[in-house]
Amino acid sequence: MLLPELTLMRPQTLAQALEFAAEPGARLIAGGTGLVPNMRLGVEAPRTLVSLERVGELQAIEQRHDGTLRIGSGVTLQRIADDEVLPAALRAAAAAVGAPAHRSAATLGGNLCLDTRCLYYNQSAEWRASNHYCLKRGGEICHVAPKGNVCRAAFSGDVAAAALALDAEVEIARPGGRIDVRALARLYSGDGAQPIALEPGEIVAAIRIPAPAGRSGYAKARRRGAIDFPLAGVAIAVGLHSNRIAHLRVALTGTNSNPFALSGTETLIGAQPAAAGAPLAKLVQKQVKPLRTTIGAADYRRQVAAVLARRLLERLTKGDSS
Amino acid sequence: MKLAGRNTPLVDGVEKVTGRARFTADLPAADALVGAILRSPHAHAEILRVDARRARALPGIRAVLTGEDCPIAYGVLPIAQNEYPLARERVRYWGEPVAAVAADDERTAQAALALIEVEYRELPAYLSAHDALKAGAMLLHADKAGNIEREVEHSFGDVGAGFAAADLVREGAFHYAEVTHAQLEPDAALAEYDAERQRLTLQSVTQVPYYVHLTLAQCLGMQPADIRIVKPFVGGGFGHRTECLNVEIIAALLARAARGKVRIVLSREQTFVLHHGRPETDIRLKIGLKKSGEITAVDARCVQRGGAYAGYGIVTILYAGALLHALYRLPAARYQGSRVYTNTPPCGPMRGHGSVDMRHAFESLLDSMAAELGLDPFALRRANLIAAPYRSANDLQVNSCGLAECLDWVERASGWKARRCKLPRGRGLGMACSHYVSGAAKTVHWTGEPHATINLRLDFDGGITVLTGAADIGQGSSTLLAMVVAEVLGIGLERIRVVAGDSALTPKDNGAFSSRISFMCGNAAIAAAEELKKLLKPDVSFDEAVRELLARGGPVTTRGTFFVPAELQGGKFRGAAVGPSPAFSYAAQVVEVAVDEETGAVTVERVWVAHDCGFAINPLAVEGQIQGAVWMGMGQALGEATRYDAPHGLPAAANLLDYRFPTTMDSPPIDVHIVEARDPNGPFGAKEASEGALAGFLPALTSAIADAVGVRLHELPATPERLLAELTRPVRAAA
Repeated sequence: MLLPELTLMRPQTLAQALEFAAEPGARLIAGGTGLVPNMRLGVEAPRTLVSLERVGELQAIEQRHDGTLRIGSGVTLQRIADDEVLPAALRAAAAAVGAPAHRSAATLGGNLCLDTRCLYYNQSAEWRASNHYCLKRGGEICHVAPKGNVCRAAFSGDVAAAALALDAEVEIARPGGRIDVRALARLYSGDGAQPIALEPGEIVAAIRIPAPAGRSGYAKARRRGAIDFPLAGVAIAVGLHSNRIAHLRVALTGTNSNPFALSGTETLIGAQPAAAGAPLAKLVQKQVKPLRTTIGAADYRRQVAAVLARRLLERLTKGDSS
Repeated sequence: MKLAGRNTPLVDGVEKVTGRARFTADLPAADALVGAILRSPHAHAEILRVDARRARALPGIRAVLTGEDCPIAYGVLPIAQNEYPLARERVRYWGEPVAAVAADDERTAQAALALIEVEYRELPAYLSAHDALKAGAMLLHADKAGNIEREVEHSFGDVGAGFAAADLVREGAFHYAEVTHAQLEPDAALAEYDAERQRLTLQSVTQVPYYVHLTLAQCLGMQPADIRIVKPFVGGGFGHRTECLNVEIIAALLARAARGKVRIVLSREQTFVLHHGRPETDIRLKIGLKKSGEITAVDARCVQRGGAYAGYGIVTILYAGALLHALYRLPAARYQGSRVYTNTPPCGPMRGHGSVDMRHAFESLLDSMAAELGLDPFALRRANLIAAPYRSANDLQVNSCGLAECLDWVERASGWKARRCKLPRGRGLGMACSHYVSGAAKTVHWTGEPHATINLRLDFDGGITVLTGAADIGQGSSTLLAMVVAEVLGIGLERIRVVAGDSALTPKDNGAFSSRISFMCGNAAIAAAEELKKLLKPDVSFDEAVRELLARGGPVTTRGTFFVPAELQGGKFRGAAVGPSPAFSYAAQVVEVAVDEETGAVTVERVWVAHDCGFAINPLAVEGQIQGAVWMGMGQALGEATRYDAPHGLPAAANLLDYRFPTTMDSPPIDVHIVEARDPNGPFGAKEASEGALAGFLPALTSAIADAVGVRLHELPATPERLLAELTRPVRAAA
């Protein structure tokens, strides 16, 4: 399908980008690997696209003196995957997205702000019209959960889970140029229909990750080795002290309408890693809420998320640093 | 031989690698109108009213067509033509074309589609064979009671006596998801109508330009002589383009109505819905074996969900039965097949046409019976080998069979004896055999003409032009024909130019399907080259011989033909036309897997495959085709499945993200060994090389999974969720 007629703005600076982004109907685009297919399906029809591609301020990876990492939202996933300074979870999650061609264009900001996905949403206009559309766009009911009144489309970005596990904060540039810093979790609304909690005109400028301590990793359940969104994705950051868990953060993606940090992990602090796997799997089983948003069975996604979490914790606490 | 038998890069490879090759959508079409199609939003509905007046009135619209504009049904089988390019009176699957427009540009075309008013009355939609077969189900086609397009009942040999003589009889039920070709190139057509001369030229993605030619003449009511079909580069077929596609007819109708040039390029979703793939299939199979492993009798039942229209359906349901035979000695076999009409896109031929699902059931059941008898799977197969010449119970004539050598090689190469059943849990080996035809001995449009004709043109420049209607769709047929001609004439490949698939220039050819081209066109090419050789003075240089020949009578064109000998054309019973072939290819393979018992994920670690193609004229292409066949089998076995959801029959996975064929990341090393049991009728002894190895992958995979974790899947694809469900199923009491 043809792209709708639109105006493409190519600002050179963040200030310019903020100005353009404030125009009514403007939509940000970076690599376009998520947005353009959606535009071709007709689920998005922005009148103005503001490309962040040339905004230099968004392209940097920096490490501050205190060890904090700052990664610009315009950094490509391939750069993140390749950068040895960055935590393993972040690199692995970036490397798990799409295929090399996607990763060379797709950006951190784009993956964090990825629209939710659903079998009833990411379809052609004809398809959706035959189905009387859906709660996320143009329709009255959610075909996944017809009795509720909430869109249950699944958030499917890989990198968000890793960033959450690494306790990332997000820098949000606001109209006028002010930068707000907030916990990354607050970027997500939990509503499948409007998953990204940004006000019009706001731009994700960077994420900040506290000085890495311990180990981290990302595991992704998918049906094939590339070009697949996560059926479930798990990221873990863990530190040991005297072979006991000293700190632990676990985050999940692909199963709910938002990527989220697993709650209840504090009960595992002080546990021996070998004893923590089973209770961790249980926590995951309880908190993931996969529904029929993908071709794969929902229950399978729940089971596999728990297995991946347990195994990833095992791997990270066993001396394998990857 | 100098050239035949040597690895030879494809003659059109440079164009593809450099991007210069023009596929249909790349053809210059600056002056073409944009064609677009309005499609049914229902799986089954009566069309009460179509009002296209507002669309017709839109500026920039050059033609608007509805079902009214083409009252002539088409279908590849002359006995089963029940499809219209644009639906009339009823729509029978979601996405069926209802109206079409030609416009100055894409936006106007889309706007016009939105202005066409169609009033429907929804009818009950049957998305499975089971539902369509229910008593009282509404008929999709009035002349087909019970929604059964064709019931086949074949019995050869004494089946009852065979089972009575067996030491072990076992039965199994199997289910296979529908799969589709997912060829890389979406469907497209470019039609040009010369209004002054009332002539039509069509370029499209077809595998069968000749069938397209016949169908256009029929549906447009034109003389075939006023139509020209040109096949540009084609981005894969696999059977998807073995019938004339509705989009080809629609483009032609639009071009005529608009008195100009019309281009239609379908989206990926539309290409999926055009389908013609392998049907959802249910099989019940019973096999009787002697303790020695010898097969005494077979009883097979097969139900195929055929989709909304006939297409190739009858052929598919017949192949599933016919190709039970000719792989092993089968003294007695009964086959009952039903092809069912449903409110899903029409199915059709797909690589391994009709044989693939049945082969999985057959090899799987053999394997579990081998275990019961304490026989190694290889030993069981060896107990049933064919010795050529052999005539099967259903009159298939096998004149060459290298299966024994295939078995020996894969057994040795995979380390089977040392490793089978001895790998750590989670790791397993499985094997299976398969076979396929080298072209159909009886063609769909039987005219009495040769099965293949090739012309060779020689002119003052000393170059030879091979003129062939054979469609090179990526499989390398043009290269093969060039090699064959060069070999016979003893000249270099650089002297040969191939012009393929232009009805104004090239002799009629039935097309690229049923693995017929190497065998049939290869033979015709040899004949044409020998004809030319006779005219050339021997014992002088080629250039001198050419000068001498032209001086005698000017430029020369020779003709070579190939007929399938009568004794290879099969039996006389109803349905006997499907199955017979001048030669059969044979393949054996071993698959090694790693199974993750906690996630159900299956990783194919390695494949060893041996394929008997008679003689590899171009081993490089043969190897690629065998790997492609294995890989395509892997897609079906591991993950591919279409899905149509109630109530509208919407295709849930009509895109390359959700229709999960494997990526390069999932591709295992595939060790190919070419076996050459030369066929007495093949060109230099050659047989088919593109399809035979596909079917064996599926059972070899599920058998390897069984070896790894003790679970034998009777349903495909072997998705992680399906396997995990089997693995975690409460243990049944020991039988």
